[in-house]
Amino acid sequence: MLQIKDLKAKIDNKEILKGLNLEIKPGEVHAIMGPNGSGKSTLSNVLSGKKGYTVSGDVTYFNENLLELEIEERAHKGIFLAFQYPLEIPGVNTNIFLKTSLNAVKKANGEKELDAIEFLKLVKKKASELKFDENILSRQLNVGFSGGEKKKNEILQMSILNPKLSILDETDSGLDIDALKIVSDGVNASRSKESSFLIITHYQRLLEYIKPDFVHVLINGQIVKSGGSELALELENKGYESLS
Amino acid sequence: MEQLKVDFDKVIESLKLSRESINFRKKNFNQFINNGFPNKRVEDWKFSDLNQIISSNIENLRFYTDLELGETDESTFIDKFAHNKIIFLNGIISKVDFSFEDDSKVLITNDLNQNETSKEVNPLVSLNNALVASYIRVTVKENYSLNKPLIIYNITTKKLKSTTINLKTDIVLEKNSSLKLINLCGDNSENNFINIVQNFDISQDAILKNYKIDHKKNSNIKYSYNNINLEKNSISENFIFSTGSKFMKNEINCNLNDKYSSAFINGIINLTNSQHHEIKTNINHLAENTKSYQLIKSVLNDNAKGIYQGKIYVDSKAQKTNGYQLSKALLLSENTEFDGKPELEIYADDVKCSHGATSGNLDEDAIFYLMSRGLSNQQSKELLINGFLLDAVEKITDIEIKDLIKKMIGIVE
Repeated sequence: MLQIKDLKAKIDNKEILKGLNLEIKPGEVHAIMGPNGSGKSTLSNVLSGKKGYTVSGDVTYFNENLLELEIEERAHKGIFLAFQYPLEIPGVNTNIFLKTSLNAVKKANGEKELDAIEFLKLVKKKASELKFDENILSRQLNVGFSGGEKKKNEILQMSILNPKLSILDETDSGLDIDALKIVSDGVNASRSKESSFLIITHYQRLLEYIKPDFVHVLINGQIVKSGGSELALELENKGYESLS
Repeated sequence: MEQLKVDFDKVIESLKLSRESINFRKKNFNQFINNGFPNKRVEDWKFSDLNQIISSNIENLRFYTDLELGETDESTFIDKFAHNKIIFLNGIISKVDFSFEDDSKVLITNDLNQNETSKEVNPLVSLNNALVASYIRVTVKENYSLNKPLIIYNITTKKLKSTTINLKTDIVLEKNSSLKLINLCGDNSENNFINIVQNFDISQDAILKNYKIDHKKNSNIKYSYNNINLEKNSISENFIFSTGSKFMKNEINCNLNDKYSSAFINGIINLTNSQHHEIKTNINHLAENTKSYQLIKSVLNDNAKGIYQGKIYVDSKAQKTNGYQLSKALLLSENTEFDGKPELEIYADDVKCSHGATSGNLDEDAIFYLMSRGLSNQQSKELLINGFLLDAVEKITDIEIKDLIKKMIGIVE
């Protein structure tokens, strides 16, 4: 579904990604691990279309040139980025935002939009699966949410939008062990033959809960090593030093 | 000005006034003539040169009393909820309807109140006193709360001959009474100068909620002056929705005359093209334990200009004053201008007063966040702008009126 060939990305004339290659097939879970500043967040930003990068290389998503698509078109076509730092949006009710988002995606795909009642039913079900307090959904989007609530809200959005490719950018950071478990359960529940995941993380901890099919090590803008889930353990023991 | 003098003499003649009234109007007219329209050399008008704005927008400043009433445009009326009505049509009162109230509790008079409200001359208030054609004073009797809100409609029609309109209303709330008031503009005329003066006397324990709505795009130049006097333990809640007129200056002078009185002034300025709107407030804390709160949110597009000048004065007697003001502006194009001038003048030592001001563009990261969830760029911006404005709208304590204003802004829920 996703082929990345020789992907380079610059910001402010500084090259961050220096020729990255990666292929993700439907149903696969890939983890990208790497030290600070290796380009992990840049990769997730470039894939979801954030402006400000000078990008070269080929990124093919379901036989389409992904780099030519607008941010929202990528979302419509099933790409979802769970933010490392979800933004606080004052004055925007969380429920209204979720409904606007879901219906924008449905509309773009020629599907019937949900009315208020259908939406409420869906969101209640998804929230309870994630042990997410429904009352929070009537509050302003992420405003005053704890770190854990913000991350759960990202996973809630993911499970409502039902994307084909979910990119989780350091979703484990700032989570206590209980929240980590709930978030991981949410991700695991979304796993299917059609949906793929790209999990970006600093630590091996998250991968104990979400077992990846592949682990890649990103150092200095390139993938220097790929392997199975055992690679994560190896990194945990030896550190990134041994690979750079 | 010469033309206005001729028109003034005609007005005096046509209104068949008492000698006392004639003298009052003449005195006020002379005060206006001596000062003229305020220009940018006047400190309070330094961001809005009204003299220049009027001369460049109104070719021939004339004043007539438009006694021939045209058709009222029914679409201006609010149909969301039942309400009492006062309708000004082209500056003349065409309807007064308090059918939801006990008429012994709401007193209506039409004799122009000739008491001086302020020692300082405000030339526009003087002009208003000199030329006002139709006047109304509403007195709410002790312990009475109106069952329904009162909407004062200020409607102009295409038939309007006069280029200036002067409206004046006085509202008196006796002890422990309350009133919810909406001042709603319905402009169907073009290039007029509309000068609105309202006085509010709020007695002990009384509550006034005043919502000032200028929402339909129009080419008129407006000045609205409110003078509010608050007695012990009374409350004045004001909301300004400033988005319709080509030029609008809302000026509120509020005197917290006695203990435990409080004033709230919240508002939004939302402008496009070359609109120019200002909110100017003077809050005078004149007694101890008084409170004031102001939150103004501005959204400026294209070449629009927005101004907020907020002054908090604390008298030496006014210990334990709590005064607060915050202004936030979104500048959505490079050609917009926002001027903020907060002023604190404090002569008491045990007070809590603060002010803040920010201005900037929409947060690009927030737009990215919303677009990554499938919203278009336009949808994302609208959501963020509405969210920004909602902060001030949420301060409205009357649910019905809050919903009305939300609908007018286009906030969907």
